[in-house]
Amino acid sequence: MPTQEITPTRSALLEVKKKIKLSKSGYKIMKMKRDGLIIEFFEVLEKAKKMRGSVLSDYDQAMQKISVARAVEGAIAVKSAAYALKAGPEVKLGSKSIMGMMVPKVECETIRAPMTERGYGVISTSAYIEEAAQSFEKLLETLVKAAEVEITMKKLLDEIEKTKRRVNALEFKVIPELQEAEAFVEFRLQEMERENTIRLKHLKKKGEA
Amino acid sequence: MLGRKSGGGNYAYVSAKVKAKKTSLMGDDAYGKMLMMSLPEISRFIGESGYQKEMAELAGRIEGIDLIEHATYRNMARAFSSILHSSQGELRDMMSAYLTKWDIWNLKVILRGKTYGADAESIREDLVPAGRLDSTMLDRLLSMETDKEIIAEFGRMEHLEVPPEAINAYKADGCLRDIEDALDKLYYKRLLMSTDRSSTPKRLFQEFIRREIDTINLETILILKTEGIRGDDVMKYVISGGREIDKKLATQLANADSVSAAVNDLAQLDFYEDIKEALGANTGSLKDLVAGMKRYHIGQAKKFSHLYPLSVIPVIDFMIHKNIEVDNIRIIARGIESGIDRDTIKGLLVI
Repeated sequence: MPTQEITPTRSALLEVKKKIKLSKSGYKIMKMKRDGLIIEFFEVLEKAKKMRGSVLSDYDQAMQKISVARAVEGAIAVKSAAYALKAGPEVKLGSKSIMGMMVPKVECETIRAPMTERGYGVISTSAYIEEAAQSFEKLLETLVKAAEVEITMKKLLDEIEKTKRRVNALEFKVIPELQEAEAFVEFRLQEMERENTIRLKHLKKKGEA
Repeated sequence: MLGRKSGGGNYAYVSAKVKAKKTSLMGDDAYGKMLMMSLPEISRFIGESGYQKEMAELAGRIEGIDLIEHATYRNMARAFSSILHSSQGELRDMMSAYLTKWDIWNLKVILRGKTYGADAESIREDLVPAGRLDSTMLDRLLSMETDKEIIAEFGRMEHLEVPPEAINAYKADGCLRDIEDALDKLYYKRLLMSTDRSSTPKRLFQEFIRREIDTINLETILILKTEGIRGDDVMKYVISGGREIDKKLATQLANADSVSAAVNDLAQLDFYEDIKEALGANTGSLKDLVAGMKRYHIGQAKKFSHLYPLSVIPVIDFMIHKNIEVDNIRIIARGIESGIDRDTIKGLLVI
């Protein structure tokens, strides 16, 4: 708040003081939120690291299994089995709050299906195709979980950045400016009080004369 | 065709033809050489090993690894059709019943492709006319509008009827599972019925089929067991007519709590020695077990083909070996293309 815009009155001083108090408490809360978000971020980061590792290993395993299935049973048989699949994977989307920030919550509903419910015949489907299907289901499940963690991490980063900007703005701009305004108003009020005192003294002298 | 007798077969002629064809099959050393080759080298090598015509025919439309797969399938289909058309009488009946598995395979490819919405051309590309139904008949199936028409037409062509409960289940949930399983069961039922036990070779052929049923049943039971499915839910997928795994043993296996719990029951089987190692490894994967059973099954065909040269056994033995050659070429080519290490590829081969 630029000092030029303030009328140096007692009510303005009270207003500024109120704003300073509010800004300081806001600053304290924001700082706590930022610290909390950072702690939360590091926890999610650990999870994300593990999740990325799981995605990579599950992907490698799934690709290995599908390669073996395509080699042993043939690409035609694998493609044909994939054509027979009826049920698609389903996920349930929700949300949860982390320090007031809403992050998505993804739950796998029907990703894994037993062999008897996939859509293709059980008798003629080889163990190779079945193992490949199971590996891809596992990969998909891991990907869904990883998506939740990754989005949470990205949202946390955005929120930390936003909170950091707010904290900095409060710390280096809003509060110093308000304090400057407070000092200015106080100074002006003291000045005005001194002027009044002098004026009164002058009037008293004139009256006595 | 069920149980129909068409007089004696021309065993001598077909056996001689098959013997000549068998000499051109790749030996075990060829697979060792191919394992050391790159994909273009494999294409060239198989082109020089009897697959050149098919490679040249398909080279304009398909390329790379898919060319190898389609060309080898086409070559196998031609070899089987040629033998089937040369055979007569009961020999033809038995072979035709045996090769129906390819017709069922093609029907599955057509139905799955149609229900998925794949275009007719890409479905046609995936068909392997190695059975009784030639390309023209398969095209007719492919041109049918609805799944119901396809199944009905297939039934007319093959003289078999898909159980109405399987069709009703398909209508209810749109899943082909029940129809596919019903067709597989019908195939083996008909195959066993097409062979009488009047002579030793025929008896051996029937025994061979019943052993095949055993290996399929065991694979099905173990796959379902690894998924935690037990009891009657497993039994409905068991094909009747097995040689060693009868209903009692199948129920016992189906009711076992886990794969390891079923091992003791498997010890009495003939092929236990071939799968013992895979069962003991307890890796959670069934692929070694399946490979062991496959090796045992092929070993049986090989064993009897020498004993009864003028019977259906050498013909079936050739068909199995041709199929294995095609499988092995594909395993090597796809394995190398996918970057699977040589030892793993070697383990997948059926030699």
